[in-house]
Amino acid sequence: MTMVLSALEYLGYILIFPGFLFCFFVGLLLAGIDRKIVAKMQKRVGPPILQPFYDFFKLCGKETIIPAAASKTTFLMAPLVGLAGLVVLQMFIPIHGWAAFSGTADIIVILYLLLIPAMATMLGGSASGSPYAGIGMSREMVTVISCELPLVLVLLAVGKVAGGDSVTFSFSVISDYQLANGSLILHPSLIPAAIAFLMIIPGETGNHPFDTAEAETEICEGLLAEYSGAPLGVFKLAHAVKLLTLSSLFVALFLGGVGTGIIVIDGIILVLISIVITILTVSLVHAITARLKIEQVFKYYWTVVSGLALISLVLAWYGL
Amino acid sequence: MSFFDYHHFPIYSIMVLFLGAFLIVMFGKNKAVRNTIAFLAVSASLACMIALVKPVMLNGEIIAYWMGNRVPAGGYAIGIALEVDQLSLFFGLLIATAVFVSGVYSLQYMDRDDNVPQYYTLFLMLAGGVIGLVLSGDIFNMFIMVEILTFAAVALTAFRNKVYGALEAAFKYLVVGCIGSTCILTGIIMLYAQAHTLNFAQLAALIPGNMNNATKLAFALLYIGFSTKAFIVPFHPLAADAHGAAPASISVLISGVLTKSGIYGIIRLTYMLFQTMNLGSFQFLLVFVGSVSMFVCVTMALAQHDFKRLLAFHSISQIGYVLTAVGLCTGLGISAGLYHAMNHTLFKGLLFLAAGAVLHETGTTNLDELGGLSKKMPWTTALFLVGAFSISGLPPFNGFASKWMVYQATYQKAAETGNIGFLLVTIVALITSVLTLASFVKVSQSVFFGRLPAKYENVHEVKPGMIIAMSIFAILCVLTGLFPGFVTKNLTEPAANAVFSAVRYIDAMMGSGYAGSVMGDNLPVVSTVSFTQVGYWAPVSWLLILCIGLLAVTIAAVLGKYDRVSEARPENVDPKYDLFWGGEASEFSQVGGGDLFWGFKHNWRHYFGFMHDLHSGVVNDYSLWAIVALSLAVVFITIVL
Repeated sequence: MTMVLSALEYLGYILIFPGFLFCFFVGLLLAGIDRKIVAKMQKRVGPPILQPFYDFFKLCGKETIIPAAASKTTFLMAPLVGLAGLVVLQMFIPIHGWAAFSGTADIIVILYLLLIPAMATMLGGSASGSPYAGIGMSREMVTVISCELPLVLVLLAVGKVAGGDSVTFSFSVISDYQLANGSLILHPSLIPAAIAFLMIIPGETGNHPFDTAEAETEICEGLLAEYSGAPLGVFKLAHAVKLLTLSSLFVALFLGGVGTGIIVIDGIILVLISIVITILTVSLVHAITARLKIEQVFKYYWTVVSGLALISLVLAWYGL
Repeated sequence: MSFFDYHHFPIYSIMVLFLGAFLIVMFGKNKAVRNTIAFLAVSASLACMIALVKPVMLNGEIIAYWMGNRVPAGGYAIGIALEVDQLSLFFGLLIATAVFVSGVYSLQYMDRDDNVPQYYTLFLMLAGGVIGLVLSGDIFNMFIMVEILTFAAVALTAFRNKVYGALEAAFKYLVVGCIGSTCILTGIIMLYAQAHTLNFAQLAALIPGNMNNATKLAFALLYIGFSTKAFIVPFHPLAADAHGAAPASISVLISGVLTKSGIYGIIRLTYMLFQTMNLGSFQFLLVFVGSVSMFVCVTMALAQHDFKRLLAFHSISQIGYVLTAVGLCTGLGISAGLYHAMNHTLFKGLLFLAAGAVLHETGTTNLDELGGLSKKMPWTTALFLVGAFSISGLPPFNGFASKWMVYQATYQKAAETGNIGFLLVTIVALITSVLTLASFVKVSQSVFFGRLPAKYENVHEVKPGMIIAMSIFAILCVLTGLFPGFVTKNLTEPAANAVFSAVRYIDAMMGSGYAGSVMGDNLPVVSTVSFTQVGYWAPVSWLLILCIGLLAVTIAAVLGKYDRVSEARPENVDPKYDLFWGGEASEFSQVGGGDLFWGFKHNWRHYFGFMHDLHSGVVNDYSLWAIVALSLAVVFITIVL
C-alpha cells in the first residue's frame, strides 16, 4: 500500500508538479507575458496573454506534413524527446531546498541535460533534410558552444562558494548553503556570475538578439522550417518551457534563500520570480536589440559574458 | 596444475591468437575454414579473460606465471614471466572484447577484399601482441610485443594499398613508430645496465634504490616510446593518417586497443617502476600533455572533412581525458581514467564500425559527398547515434559517467592543492566535451541526415553480422553508462587499487617479503583507493523518470492526433511534400560538412590557420616533432624528478 502511494506520489511529481502540467501552464504563460510586454514596448496592442495556449491547441489541430526527404521516426520523435528531457530537468532543480527527486542529478548533469533539448531540435531539423535546417542547425550548435563556456564558469564558481574547501557539484549542498547563509546573489564574489547567468538566458532559449538559429526573416526559422502541426506545437511549447527551466535554475543557484518552506507558496514565488526574470532578460532585451550575426554571438559570449563569469570564479577561488 | 587450471589462462589467451595466425597462413585458403579459425581464436581469448575475472578481479589474486617453471633463483628473475594483476586484467578484458567484436565484424566487412588470409594473420598477430603486452611480466617481452603489434599495425594500415594515402600513412607510422620502439629499447637497455634484470617486479623493487640520472633518462625514453603507441600529442597526426587508410575493423584495434597499450605502459612506468619518484612534478607533465591532447585534437577534428580522420582525432582527444585523469595521482582520478579508457574502447569501436559500414556501402567517407543515409541505413544510423551520444557525454550513456568522474577528479584536485591550473583543466575538459558534441552533430548532419545525393539512391543496409557486431558495442555503451556504480566497484576500483599496490605486485612475483628486504626505506605504502564524489548521478532513476515522461508525452501526443501525419506516397504526389528551397537551385543550397560551424571557426581563424600550417603531413616534420618531444621530456624529467 505504501509502495503504491509513493509510486502515485512520484507519478504526481512527474505529471503535475513540478512536472508536465506545471511546466505547460507556466511555460506558456511566460511566453504570453513576453509577447505582451514586447508589444507594449513597441506601442502595439499585442496578443492576449493566453495567445500561446491558443496557438498550441490550434497547431495540434493542423495537418502534420512529413517532407518526402525526411527520416520519419527522428523527425517525429525529436520534439517529444526534447520536451520530455526539459520537463525531467525541471524536476531536479530544487525549489527552496525541496526537490522532487533529490540525489539523482547534480549541476554537471544539469549542464549536460540542457544539451538534450538543443540536441533534439538539431537532430529533428537535420532529419527534415531541409537546407535551411542545415544552416539553422549549424548556428544552433555554435550558440550552444557559445553559452557553454560562461555556463561552466558560473557553475564552477557557485560550486566553489557553496562547497568551501570541499568543492561541490551537488544541488542539495548548494541549496543547504543558501538556506543557512542567505542567497548566493548576496555573496559579493558571485554578483558578476549572477549577471553572466542572466545574460546566458536569452542565448540558451534562443531569443533576441541571439536567435540567429531561428532567424525567421533570413532562414525561415531554420530548424523548424519543415515542421508543421502538432510537432511544431510541441517545439514551441518546449521553447516556452525552457524559459521556466532557466529561470528556475537561476533561482536555485542564486536565490535559494528566498522562500517560506511551504511548497505551494514557494512554487508561487518561483513563478513570480520567473516572470520578472523573463521580462528582464528576454522581453526588454528583445524589444531594444536587433539580431546579431552568429560570429558576433560567439564573440560576445566568449568575451563579455565569460569574462564576467571568470571574474567570479577567480574571486570565489581566492575566497573573497 | 591441470590443463584447465586458471593459472594457465593468461598464456592460453595469447597463444590461441598467435596459433590462429599461423593456422590461417597454412589452411586459410578456404573461406569457411579461415573464418572458423579466426572466430574460435578471438572467442577463446575472450573466454580466457572472462574466466580470470573471478579469481583476479574479484578475489584479488595476482597470477605470476613462469614459462617452463623457471622461477627466480639466487635473487634474480631470469625466466620469461607473465604477471596478471587487476590492472593487467582490466586492460586485457577491454582488449579481448574489442578484438572479439572487431573479428566478428571483419567476417562480413572484408568480403570484398583480396588477400583476406593475410589480413586475418596480421589481425591476430596484432591482437596477440597487445594482449601479450598487457599480461607480460618482464619489460623485454613488453618490447617484443610492442614490435609485433607495431609491425602488424603498419602492415594492416597499408592493407588496402590501392586506397589513396594508405602506403604514405603506413610509411609515416613505420618511421615514427620505429622511433618510439627504439626509445623503448634504449630505455630498457639503460634500466638493465643499472639494475641487471628485466623482470618488471624486480625492476620495480630495485629502481627506487638506484634513482640516478641514467634511470631517469631511461624513464624519459620509455615515456616517449609509450606515447608514440598511445598517439598522444605530438604524435597525433599519425593516428589520423593511419585511421583514414586502414580498414574500419583495424581502426577499432588501433584506436581501442593499441592506444590502450600505450596508456597501460605509462601507468605501469609511473606508478610501478618509478613509484618513488617525485610524482607531483611528473603529474604536471601528464596532465599538461593530456589536456593539450584533448583540446588540440578536438579542434583538429572539427576541421576534418573525412569521417574516419575525424574519428581518429577524437580518439586522441578522448585519450587526452584518460591521460589527464590518470596523471592526477588520486584514487578518483585513476578510477575515472580507467573508466574512460574502457568507455573509449566501446564507443570509439562502435563509431569506427559505423564509419566502416558507411564505407562498405557507399565506398567513401568524405563528409562533403555523403548525406541522408538514415533512410537507407536505419540500423547503422541508430547505432551511430548511440556512439555519438556516448562520446559526447550525453546522459545516460557511458561517456557521461566517466567524464563526470574526470571533472570531479580534476576539480577536487584543484580544491585540494589550491592550484588554479587544475581548475583550468576542468574547464578545458568541459569545453572539449561540447566541441565533441558539435563535431558529431556535424557528422550526423552530413552523413546520416540532410539531403540524400542521387548517386546513393541504391544504397542499402549492411549485413546482419556487421549490425550484430555494432550492437554488442552499443549495448555495452548503454549498460556501462547505466550502472556506473557496478563498473567502478567491480572493474575500475580493483584496477586502481592495483595501481597503488606496487608491493603486492613485487611480492607476488619474487616471493613474499622480497619488496620489504630490497627496498627498505623506499617501501611504498599500499593504499586502498577510496574517494567521495562531489555530486550525484543516478542514471537508472533518471532514465526511469525520462521514460515515464516520454511515455506521458507520447500518450498525450497520440491522443492529440500527433501521429496522424500526411506523408508522400506514390499515389499522392503533391508539391507540399517537397522541401522548401526559397527559389534557389537545390544543389547549391546544402551546406557542406566542412563549412558547418562557420561562426565558431571564423572567430578562431588564426588558431585554425596556425594548426593547418603546423600539420604539414610531411613525415620529416613528424619525426622532428618526435625528436623534440624526446629532448623536452629528457630535459624535464632529468631536471625535475
